[in-house]
Amino acid sequence: MLKADSNARLVIDRTAHCIRLERRFNASPAQVFEAWTKPEHLACWWDPSGQPLAVCEIDLRPGGTFTFVPNGRPDAPFAGTYLEIVPFERLTFEAFGAIGRVLFDEDGESTRLSVEIQCRSAEHLQQFLQSGVDEGTSRTLDNLVTYIGARAR
Amino acid sequence: MAIISGKLDRLDKAFSALADPTRRAILVRLAAGEATVSELMTPFALSQPTISKHLKVLEQAGLIEQGRDAQRRPRRLSAAALEDAADWIDDFRRQWMGRLDRLENHLASMKTDET
Repeated sequence: MLKADSNARLVIDRTAHCIRLERRFNASPAQVFEAWTKPEHLACWWDPSGQPLAVCEIDLRPGGTFTFVPNGRPDAPFAGTYLEIVPFERLTFEAFGAIGRVLFDEDGESTRLSVEIQCRSAEHLQQFLQSGVDEGTSRTLDNLVTYIGARAR
Repeated sequence: MAIISGKLDRLDKAFSALADPTRRAILVRLAAGEATVSELMTPFALSQPTISKHLKVLEQAGLIEQGRDAQRRPRRLSAAALEDAADWIDDFRRQWMGRLDRLENHLASMKTDET
């Protein structure tokens, strides 16, 4: 299994062509939803490099589009279309031909966040992942959980 | 460049070898220690040719190698290939975990702003 802390989990399911991240946050679903849907918030945290986004456009309605462009990397935008918006509960979007589902589940004082990226096929999942990682790192992947379990430690 | 494409080739082979559940199970078994073909036959209830076929795929992918005992010919995990594949998955994991770390910090600052 992943050695990640119990607070966070990443599952790659090749059979379902899907990647799922789960994580718990000490905030209400309303706050987490706001952080995902208001540009002034999302621009602050989206880029893992630590820099605020250079462009963060959100047209929050079904059929509305979004564009997130990291600072200094205009060639690497994350852009798509919102499909479904259920405030404080669910956000569904399409990006790079994949469907993203963000679920905000209230759990006492905190929120269980689940981000699921569903691709059309295993090949598509591979392409999708490549777009998010450093170029030239790899091509394909498999069931992450089983695989990491196989690592000799 | 040759080094990079060689590495990509190896990763491709490794991941396609990993697409099969029996082969993944064999790797999990080998993670616990080296094993011979006959030692692998019992837990998987598979014939010797079937096990040998799977082992050949894993070997060609560089995921396993022969142990030292020439007579028993045990197989064991090859650490280098596993590390390559795991490093790549780690890249993706790191990116998303980093993003969610930042979300966590940002949520904390949103709360501070409210008070």
